[in-house]
Amino acid sequence: MGDILEFFEQMGFMNMTYQQGIMLLLSFFLLYLAIKKQYEPLLLLPIAFGMLLTNLPGAGMYHSELWTAFLDANSPAYHSYGTIMREGGLLDILYIGVKAGVYPCLIFMGVGAMTDFGPLIANPKSLLLGAAAQLGIFLTFLAANSMGFTEAQAGSIGIIGGADGPTSIFLTSKLAPELLGPIAIAAYSYMALVPVIQPPIMRALTTKKERAIKMSQLRPVSKTEKIIFPIAITTIVALILPDAAPLIGCLMLGNLAKECGVVDRLSKTMQNELMNIVVIFLGLTVGATATASSFLDWSTIKIMVMGVVAFGCGTAGGILLAKLMNVFSKEKINPLIGSAGVSAVPMAARVSQQVGQEENPSNFLLMHAMGPNVAGVIGSAVAAGILLTMLG
Amino acid sequence: MMTPLVINWSHVWMVTGLGFCMVILLLVVLIFILKLLGAVVSSAVKAPKAAQPKAVAAPTAQAAPASAESQADDDLAAIAMALHLYFNGVHDVEPTEIHIKRVERSGWNSKLYGMNNLHR
Repeated sequence: MGDILEFFEQMGFMNMTYQQGIMLLLSFFLLYLAIKKQYEPLLLLPIAFGMLLTNLPGAGMYHSELWTAFLDANSPAYHSYGTIMREGGLLDILYIGVKAGVYPCLIFMGVGAMTDFGPLIANPKSLLLGAAAQLGIFLTFLAANSMGFTEAQAGSIGIIGGADGPTSIFLTSKLAPELLGPIAIAAYSYMALVPVIQPPIMRALTTKKERAIKMSQLRPVSKTEKIIFPIAITTIVALILPDAAPLIGCLMLGNLAKECGVVDRLSKTMQNELMNIVVIFLGLTVGATATASSFLDWSTIKIMVMGVVAFGCGTAGGILLAKLMNVFSKEKINPLIGSAGVSAVPMAARVSQQVGQEENPSNFLLMHAMGPNVAGVIGSAVAAGILLTMLG
Repeated sequence: MMTPLVINWSHVWMVTGLGFCMVILLLVVLIFILKLLGAVVSSAVKAPKAAQPKAVAAPTAQAAPASAESQADDDLAAIAMALHLYFNGVHDVEPTEIHIKRVERSGWNSKLYGMNNLHR
């Protein structure tokens, strides 16, 4: 009889708090969004499942208290990966890759191997649009400070405006690991909602005439330029801003492997196997950080609200700079491509194309928008490096 | 009870202003480098062409840009058509299923009643 009672006492049902129940329901909802609605399913599915696993009472797959001790300078487990390996569960061990900043960099390697920087090389001015779209990061940093977050937390919240999941995770794991769950979920949710968030802002800030502007064809880019580009960017950015080197370096390594044409096997591995494996680990472990105690908090709601603000400001920044460039430039550019300056590759560029075609069906902005789009990836990595230097 | 956080506003403004300016500045530097790269590579590509003997270079120099241009136009036309078809849903949607029509038996076609049993 005693054994039966003990068995019942050890059941997850008996030990579940109502907060864990809410988190389980939330994970079911996210799984529904990923599977049925297909909102960024490749990431949302592992994130939601990680959230499910971490909130199962008694499963012991992730221990937030171990990671609190990991960050506590007075604890014997301070910065001790040995303690994590000894006492942690499966998700704790996988989380080491996030904590050490390994997964976001490996994902960037895959992103680099899949990205064509040709439109950016052909039209270097696109970099300005990519830079202007980072306005959202810094305005949100300001707003988050005024809402009572610490500067490090505010920087991590602001980076949501970069619309770049790996960069958000990389910076948050360094500056404010306690907010990793809500920030990652906000970043990926809003990236999936780019086609909903951006078009109203784009229409509000541009006139019909501006949206119908046709741009001249981009010049062809030689293979030599494409090979020199990643080497030059890595060298220059890393020399000016060493903290951005891991992200930019991995992005450009992937791109060099793609463009040089002599390491096809490596390039394909980066694009497929490596990328997929890391996405699984990253999604699961980021979801695992969304424990009831850390997620069900007012700060999560504030982060969600500020995430939208960051996204909106970034979109507006890119569009407004494109309009400003039109004032001084002879060759007009369609301001709609400015909104693609937030990373979210290639969805933001596709939104520019779609909104442009609403005004003029014969207008093809996709390749023009890819320039600011990939510039946004570089811009957000640079902004992350700057925030890490200033706040880290 | 949470202790109110003391915000160092001067530092916050400094990070905001300086951070954003640094992003712009760094990317402006990259613009110059990309422009320089484009100029250097294009001049390096042009240089060997000029060094080639005139008699041999003349026919290819005339033919190559024309064919490259027409090929680029063809590519553009194909891409434009594909995008148009994709975004406007102009193409036919085929069901990709093969249906074998089952013959329903009735008094009108049953071999029990008919003289010509067409359906077997």
